[in-house]
Order: sequence, then structure tokens, then C-alpha cells
Amino acid sequence: MAVGPASIARPAPAVDRRVSPRRVLEREGAFSWIMLAPGVLFLLAFVAYPFFYGIYLSLQDRPVAKPGLFVGLANFVNLAHDAVFWQVTRNTFLYVAVTTVLKLLGGLGMALVMNQAFRARNIVRALLLLPFIVPTILSTIAWMWIFDPTFSVINWTLVNTGLVAKGFSWLGNATLAMVAIIIVNTWRGIPFYGISILAGLQTISPDLYEAAAIDGASINQRFWHVTMPIIKPILIIVTMFSVIFTFADFQIVYALTHGGPANATQVFVTYAYDLGMSAGQLGMGAAAALTMLPALILLIIGLTLYLRRE
Amino acid sequence: MGGPKPPEAEANFMSTRRDFLTASIAGATGALLAPRLSSAAPKSMSVVHESSFIKSFDDFFVKQLAPAYEKQTGIKINYEPVSVGSLLTRLTTIVETKSGPEITATGLNWPWLFDPSLVDVTDIATETGKNLGGWYETVTEAVVINKKWKALPWGNIGQLEVYRTDWFKQAGVNKFPDNWEDLLAAGRLLKKAGHPFGFELGHGFGDNHGWLYPLLWSYGGREVDKDGKTVLLDSSETAAAVDFCRRFYKETMFEDVLGWTDVNNNKAFFGEQISCTNNASSILVVGKRDFPEIAKVTDHALNPNGPKGRYHMLNPQSHAILTHAPDQAAAKAFVKWLYDDKQLSAWLTAGDAYYAPFLHSYDNHPMWNPEPRYIPYKESLKTSRLPGWPGPPSHAMSESVAKYVVVDMFAKACRGDATKDVIATAVAQLKQIYKAK
Repeated sequence: MAVGPASIARPAPAVDRRVSPRRVLEREGAFSWIMLAPGVLFLLAFVAYPFFYGIYLSLQDRPVAKPGLFVGLANFVNLAHDAVFWQVTRNTFLYVAVTTVLKLLGGLGMALVMNQAFRARNIVRALLLLPFIVPTILSTIAWMWIFDPTFSVINWTLVNTGLVAKGFSWLGNATLAMVAIIIVNTWRGIPFYGISILAGLQTISPDLYEAAAIDGASINQRFWHVTMPIIKPILIIVTMFSVIFTFADFQIVYALTHGGPANATQVFVTYAYDLGMSAGQLGMGAAAALTMLPALILLIIGLTLYLRRE
Repeated sequence: MGGPKPPEAEANFMSTRRDFLTASIAGATGALLAPRLSSAAPKSMSVVHESSFIKSFDDFFVKQLAPAYEKQTGIKINYEPVSVGSLLTRLTTIVETKSGPEITATGLNWPWLFDPSLVDVTDIATETGKNLGGWYETVTEAVVINKKWKALPWGNIGQLEVYRTDWFKQAGVNKFPDNWEDLLAAGRLLKKAGHPFGFELGHGFGDNHGWLYPLLWSYGGREVDKDGKTVLLDSSETAAAVDFCRRFYKETMFEDVLGWTDVNNNKAFFGEQISCTNNASSILVVGKRDFPEIAKVTDHALNPNGPKGRYHMLNPQSHAILTHAPDQAAAKAFVKWLYDDKQLSAWLTAGDAYYAPFLHSYDNHPMWNPEPRYIPYKESLKTSRLPGWPGPPSHAMSESVAKYVVVDMFAKACRGDATKDVIATAVAQLKQIYKAK
């Protein structure tokens, strides 16, 4: 039987246009999106939606249980004319600035010590994490007792060692109340810095220190010229996170002072909560909460640019 | 017989088949819907409450009332307690999401805040009032909105003077002072004897407002007028109250009260650190349970008189039905049952007179007999007002409370600020809050 060329020629492969799940998964772009989808959906539902809803609320006169009325920037204008709001702004920036510096220094010191070899190092490392692990509200209640005028262990120590004749009113005095919340926030936040910086320190090769020592570098010089340049990106990232957390710190202030005495420790989030939840002014509360946004955006942009330049 | 069926038989058959299908579909649908339709009444309902200081009050609901109602109607009643001070937040969430418990407890002026989300319960209030001697007039300002009852009060949590009888006697004060100046004089003696007073001036949620508003009113000071628009705070009466408060603080208390929240005065009282404070009767309740020796020498008194009268804080604990309740009639039926004398009377008794009822037939209720030291809380009802009084209850009123306008005015004066300055700051805040000119 004669075989014609057509019959021996392999048929041209038909273009299969069916979309099978397997094919989709093999496409890297699609696969990436599928893998990202849960995370993206989570962020959209629990971060993006509340954030944009917050902006929407802040532009409304929106008493609880009643429909909102669009008022543009009126809530922000009202806040700008509210003397307490400016006190709240000053308090927040002071609180964030002081605690950030203290946590940075304390955390760095903690990490440098924890990076040394000594007996029971791992147990000590675990114990130092405790302030960060214990639920904030529980530890804050413990601090409430520590600052209590009658039962304060600090006052007891100061009085019984003869350093002062009378204990301090930690939470009744405006200045000391601010000091008190700064102490608690610093105590709670240092382990976060410490453990993060420690992770950075452990990536530094001992060879670098040996080489520097051979070149005659002192301990100080080794710290500034070997350690610091390597851990600087970590310091910046940790500081950025810490500033964001501290701006949004609610529990310590709310449980310890509730913003008192006379608003001396009132910060953005506690004030926003009082306006939104206690006063039922949801729009005003959202506006108060959003006022910290510009500062945070500037900080994040600044630090990110610095990191990229580095 | 065989052979073709007659046309009518065919028609009948077709009809029967159609009927069968129809019946089947209807039956299946009916079966699906049956549970819902046959149990039009809900299987369960929930009541959200702030956890009571009186455990037996909560227990009575859970162990007696709820099972009794379920036995009668088949409807299970869930009791959802939330921690003290957090009910307003919980209620805000419930109302905003339109989900959660069908019935809620309320306090202060909350029915005004949540008015659109609350069911009209005027019919129950009218019947309850008729059956139980009528309501106290003072409570209506908190729960009646545009002539409609939006909540049904079961009792007031009053804020009165709580003091140590032994230390007062030791200082030569045998009877609790009747006016603020005499209390100041007593406080001087007691502070000198090492037993200062401790009245909250910080950012708590009750024990600060509980004495500072009555102090302001008793000197004739007012935040805002009845119209809710005219700010009245800048007055010689307010200045007199502020000046008195400064002296009262400096001469009878210690600095820490400026930072106190609601737990501190209780703690200080049981730590035998203070001889007098302003609080609900919970101090005596806890004292009887945990500090019997202190409880023996603890007593209550009405707030002192001022030049313009004697006042107390109105904090009516009430039940309201939320409009999102799937079956409002069932919720109302339960509340009506709850406010029947048989249930309400027993529940209030279980509450150990912590809640002073607003119904006149309970003025001489047996619940007052076991512990006469609670009676001043009943006597305070007639002179109790909402914070912001005589202004109308409103969102602005709540905003003023939430911003601690009055509390901070007094607290700043106590820490040393000038009277005119603290009043000016408070007035500026009130003008903004009440949108006054």
C-alpha cells in the first residue's frame, strides 16, 4: 500500500487551549499569586478594610447607632481647636521619643551582654524575654501595685533605705505618672530590641573582631567600626517597628492611668478610645486615631530611604 | 381491563401526577421549613450585663431565673457578663454590628446614646409602674426619650460617702458631717490623726464623677442649661465649688488621689490608708466578705449638703431590647416576665440591696431590712441626677464625661492651677462639645 507523504507526516501539534489547574499552577506568575492570596486577603480584610473604614468614619459626624453625615475635615478642625488634643500630641511624642531611646540603648546593652559566653546563658536569654511574653495587661496590673503609694515596693525601698523621707506619688503627680508609663513601656519593650539585635550580632563573624584586634583596634573602636555598621540596618528596622507599636500603645496607659491625672498621660490611642467608645463619637474618635498617621508615614519613609541609601 | 384508558382517566392520571409532584415539593419545602415555622419562638435569647459586684445577683439569674423561664416557655436565656467598666464598649460593638445579644443592660444616659437601636418598652414600663407603686420621677430623665421608655430600670448604683466610724469617733466626730464645710473640718482632724480622706480625682469611670458632679451642683454650679446649648459653667458658684475642692484636697487628702482610677479607693480603704471616700456600697459588700473587721466599722452617709442643696449621681441600671433582635416580641415577653414582682423582687433580694430600685412599692422591701447601712443609697434616689444635669441627656453629655471636663477642672485646681484658668479651660471645652457660642 502506497503511503503518501501526508500519512507519514506527523500531525502538527494542536494548540491545546484548555485551562487545566495543573497548567495554571505551572505558570510562575499565577502560582505566586495563588500562594500570596491568603496573605493578601487577610491583609485586605483585617488591615486595609479597617484602615479605609477609619478614614471614611473620620470624615463623618457619626454618633454611635446613628447614620453618619459627611463633614469633610470638620473633625480634624475640631481637634485642632481642642486644647486637650494638643496636650495629647505632646504627651504622645514625648512618650514615644523617650521610650524609643531608652529601649534602643537598653536593648543594645542587653544584646551585647547576651552575646557573651557565660554559664546558663540560654536560660538567662529566655528569662529576659519574659516582659515581652507576659500579657501586657497582667504585667501592667503588677506595675500598678509597684507604683501604689501604700504597697509600692519602690517607695518602700526608698523610704527604708533612708533615701527619701516620704514615698513618691507615682501616678498622682503629672510628671511622675509620665515617668511611670515610660518605665513600664521601656521594661516591656527592651526584650524586643534585645533579641532582635542579638540575632544581628550573631551574624558577625568573629574573624572580623580578630582582624580588628590584630590591627590594634580598641574595644570601643571594634564596636563602632565593626559591630555598629553591621547591625545598623537591624537597629533601624527594630526602631521603626517599635515606634509604630509605641504610638499605638493602649494597654499600659489605659490600665495604669487612663490618661490621668488631668490628661498628663493621655495619648492618641487612649484619647481616640475615649472619644469613640466612651463618648460614642465614632467619627471624632477615628479622626483622633488617624492624626498620628502623618508622623508615622514620615518616619517610615525616612527610615526606608535611609536604609536603601545605606 | 386492558385497552387504552379513557381521556378523562388520562387527564385524571396527569392531574394526579401533577398533584403528586406539587405535594412532594410542598412536602419537602414544608419539611425544610417545618422546624423554623413550628418553633416561631426563638430557642434561645441572650442578655448582656456588666458583671455584678454581688455574685449572688448574677448567680440568681443564671441558676434561678433563666432555668425557670426555660421551663415555662422552652426558651433558653443565656446570661453574658462582661467585666466592670467594659459594657459600653461591648454595647457599641453590638449596636454597630447589629448582632449579638437581644437584651442588654444599660447605665447612666446610654438609652439616649443608643436610642435608634432600642425597642420601645413603654407598655411594659407602664404596666410595671402600675403594678409596683409607680416609678421614681428622677429616673425618667435617663430612660424616657421622646415620651417613649427605651429601657426598664431595675436599680440605681449610687455613689455615697463611705467612712470609718471608729476613726471618725476617735477624732471626735460622732456623726457624719451634714455639709461640705463640716466634712472638711472633720477631714482635717482625721488627716492629722494619720487617716486622710481619699476621693478619686483621676480618670476612672465612676468614683470621680460620683462626687465631683454632686459637689459642683451643691454649690450651684452647672455645666449647661436645660436647652443643652447655653454653657453655664463660668459662674461664681462654680468658682466656689472649685475653691472648696482645692481646700478639701489639700487639707484632707494626699497627692495620689489625683491619679486614682476606680480600683484605688477600694484598695486604699481596705489597706486602712483612708478614712473616707465616695463609692458604691461595694466596699461594704467586699468588706463583709473579705475584711470583716473593717466592715464592722464601715458606714455610709448621703453626700454632704452644699449652699445650694444636696445631690447624688444617678446611674440607673436598666434593661433594653435591641432592635436587631430577631423576635422582639419574644424579647419583650421575657423582659415583661422579668419585671413581674415575683421575679424582680427575688432578684433584687439576691442583689443584697446593692441596687436601689426605682419602684415605690419596693421602698419598704424586705431587702432593706438585713443591713440598714445600705438604706442611704435608697434615700439618695430623690436627689440623684445624671452627669451634665440640668442639660438634656445627649451625646454631648457623654462627650463631656468621656473627656473628664468637670473632673479635670477640679483635678487641675487641686494640683495648683488658678480657679479662673481651670474654669476657662473647661468652658472652652464645653462650648466646643455643646456647639455653643
